[in-house]
Amino acid sequence: MRTKSLSLLVVLLVLSLSVSVFAAPFDAETFVYVGGAGGPQTLDPAAAYDTASGEVIHQVYDNLFEYVDGELDNMGPMLATEVPTVANGLMSEDGRTIRVPIRQGVKFHSGHTLTAEDVRYSFLRGMLADPAGGPIWMFFEPLLGVQTMRNVIEMAGGSGDFAAIDEVDPAILRKAYDLVAASIEVDGNDIVFHLVEPYPPFINILAKGGSWSAIVCKDWMAANGDWDGNPDTWAKWYDLALEDMTLYDQANGTGPFKLDTWDKSGAQVLFSRFDEYWQGPASLKSVVIKNIPELATRQLMLRVGDADAIYVGQEDLPQVRTMPDVTVIDGLPQVTNTVLFYSFTIPVEGNEDLVGSGKLDGKGIPSDFFADVNVRKAFNYSFDYEAFLTEVALGAGVTPVGPIPQSLPYVNTEQEYFKHDPARATEYFKKAFDGELWEKGFEVGIVYNTGNNTRKTALEILEYNVESINPKFKVNVIGLEWATVLDKLRSASLPVFVMGWLMDFPDTHNFAVPFMHSTGTFAGYCGQGLIDLAKVEFDALVEAGIKATDPAEREKIYFELQKRYVDLAVGMPFMEATTHRVMRDWVKGFTYSPAYSAQYDYYTISKEEK
Amino acid sequence: MITYIARRLLFLPIVLIGVTLLVFVAMSFLSPYQLVSAYIKSPEELKNQSLDDLVRKYGLDQPIHVRYVSWMKNLLKGDLGYSVSANMPVAEAVTKRFPATIELALFASVPVVLGGIWLGTISAKHYNRPLDHVTRTFAIIGWSLPDFVFGLILLMIFYGVLGWFPPGRLSMWADTVVLTGNFTRYTGLNTVDSLLNGRPDIFWDSVRHLIAPVITLSYLWWAYLLRITRSSMLEVMNKDYVRTARAKGLTEKVVVNRHVRRNAMIPVATVSGSMILGLLGGVVIVETVFDYKGLGLLTATGAQQLDYTLILGTTLFYGMLLVLINLVVDVLYAVIDPRVRLE
Repeated sequence: MRTKSLSLLVVLLVLSLSVSVFAAPFDAETFVYVGGAGGPQTLDPAAAYDTASGEVIHQVYDNLFEYVDGELDNMGPMLATEVPTVANGLMSEDGRTIRVPIRQGVKFHSGHTLTAEDVRYSFLRGMLADPAGGPIWMFFEPLLGVQTMRNVIEMAGGSGDFAAIDEVDPAILRKAYDLVAASIEVDGNDIVFHLVEPYPPFINILAKGGSWSAIVCKDWMAANGDWDGNPDTWAKWYDLALEDMTLYDQANGTGPFKLDTWDKSGAQVLFSRFDEYWQGPASLKSVVIKNIPELATRQLMLRVGDADAIYVGQEDLPQVRTMPDVTVIDGLPQVTNTVLFYSFTIPVEGNEDLVGSGKLDGKGIPSDFFADVNVRKAFNYSFDYEAFLTEVALGAGVTPVGPIPQSLPYVNTEQEYFKHDPARATEYFKKAFDGELWEKGFEVGIVYNTGNNTRKTALEILEYNVESINPKFKVNVIGLEWATVLDKLRSASLPVFVMGWLMDFPDTHNFAVPFMHSTGTFAGYCGQGLIDLAKVEFDALVEAGIKATDPAEREKIYFELQKRYVDLAVGMPFMEATTHRVMRDWVKGFTYSPAYSAQYDYYTISKEEK
Repeated sequence: MITYIARRLLFLPIVLIGVTLLVFVAMSFLSPYQLVSAYIKSPEELKNQSLDDLVRKYGLDQPIHVRYVSWMKNLLKGDLGYSVSANMPVAEAVTKRFPATIELALFASVPVVLGGIWLGTISAKHYNRPLDHVTRTFAIIGWSLPDFVFGLILLMIFYGVLGWFPPGRLSMWADTVVLTGNFTRYTGLNTVDSLLNGRPDIFWDSVRHLIAPVITLSYLWWAYLLRITRSSMLEVMNKDYVRTARAKGLTEKVVVNRHVRRNAMIPVATVSGSMILGLLGGVVIVETVFDYKGLGLLTATGAQQLDYTLILGTTLFYGMLLVLINLVVDVLYAVIDPRVRLE
């Protein structure tokens, strides 16, 4: 017995000794961030359009401009030496010609020196590659007045409806190249952008936070098998699969950190400090961004100190608030809006689980149910915005006053907006369908994507409040897998759905188009009824809003758009959420900008043991 | 025996074609816009893109038979396609993740099998006595515990409180050496590669990361083996030859070890084989809790994201594994037990 106890003691002793030998000591120069919402899809700035990819690109590349102290209304130069304005003569009076002087002596990680040609190449390559599902539309719109490279090929006289680009006549391809190339020129050390129309947020599109505007090195790209600038060969790199693009999993920027490796099987990205960074080397020597889906595992890593910061969803924040030596920074503003959309023309056939009988007979809804403004207004007055904000979102945000977030300019904060008002909801329900709706009742399925409990609860609030108004009203909250939601969105089959929009660039236009224009992202999911309405009510104003350079004129236009959106109750914006960060309290120098998709800007961060 | 093995191997392609056809038929129920969710993974990623362009780009609008033929053609060229969820070619994803799974299976199978047999023997030896009840209760608790609960408890105690057994496959410092340092990958098994590279520190680090998932798997699966061993031993204990052995004055230890346990082992071997096969297939929950990036987690993520090339690739791989391991088990039977003839 004694021998057994003795050997147990020895084993424990060896174990604890070896643990202390191999346990990692506090490392002030390495930062580990553990995310949970998925890793990057690609590291190519021309293709990346998700936040996890943007997070990596942010650390490795620089842009022409950056937001000073992260403030959206304070733009400063980065790889440019000045921010173009009409006052400094770098922007023409009509706002269509923009000259950008490029900083000299900046080094890429590869050792190459930045030139104006690299900057021009970065944008040309992005536009000519134009990967489907990517962010490059942001350049096409201001520079050529179109949305895609297919549209440019149409401008060049070809057909945009090709299956493979080698079907297009080489002469047309060359013409298309010339059109793109003419929009950006090199003049000495400067870059000159020629815009098709004035586009006030163009500088914002080029600023840090926009991964699509990251500056790459032309010579290094060509040496690594990418397009070399030859006007006749660009089509070879057009719309490649993500994994076939040169920068898919490698990077060479001028940013403060070099990409060491994207360890895909380990779901982590490793960076090391770039000592020749033009603004001086970062404090951290290495950075690791990992992805671990299990919250409990992430929390334990934070507690033990293996993680310096972790991702925690809003609903799980109470779990980490009480953790010792952990800092929670919340209430960080975002430019975002969560909106409940209505489909104006809902297909009935094959959609019985959501529309029931497809008729106004108390057992379903007709295809044009939400085309009646009274129904939409009644729903909007049925939702309890206050209860949602305080009880469900735990106060992390504000109630909107329209589709444009209040942190952007040209939002009328005095605009009368919906609030929970059962009496007015009743009034509108009674008016709908000339009283027939009130008499017969209805049954409708409203959908959230499974896993998003906040949205589920929002819909349940709506369900409860609408059903309380009239016992003949029946609302069913239905959870569908994201794949099915996407499928049903494509055919505008969801009578009601909830979706958020996080800005691409901080300008009112970036919300006006998706929410109100007939060709915007959401119009297509809301049925032909809304498209027709948008053409009449919104399109002209949205198009005028982006062309206007006078702030007073822009304000007038966007105030009017906001008023029309609310008057017509096109949708129900119900949340402008704030965000938060969770980190160990030894993390110093945290900075934040609503313009950054990256959770952290590691350049400013350092670690100090208490 | 060689004819038997050859015949079984000839069946392999038929089995594999069958399983891939089944997966394709299942996928044919999904619309192109459901499949495009592999590229737009959440509502937050739905931006200013044309879903039609994505569908056209990745050929998701092609009829299912066209996609199957094209997939088959590529397969014959050794190309299993590209996995969107793993961000790498399917073949590479499987070959990178499988060593992690093998390593966990290797380390787990010894305590799982030996522990289960040991507990089963104790139980049978003390049939219906307190030790039998205690052993069975202990094992049944393990069997009944959801794996994520027990895994999390272990992680909280041994990592959160004591800091002994961290999640993942390697600590950050070791990972950095393996990924960016002068470290050659021979097998993909961290324990083996670290020794081959002369890095005992990394060897110990990888063992530290294996201990908690191995304990979890062992405790969860002991009950199953215990039950098989126990009932099999009890059956053998009543046999005439055991009575004879006792009657001729052999000690209880010799009777149990030599006459009972050895003969009770055949059903135990069958069950152990299927358990090891299960371990090789990946253990999703344990891999999730311990952030142990193995094949199970890969497959589950692929399935969740409707990454059909990955689903096809892993199905093919599992199918092959299943057929081959079953073949090995059958051959082993014939070797172990002279009564079994393979024809």
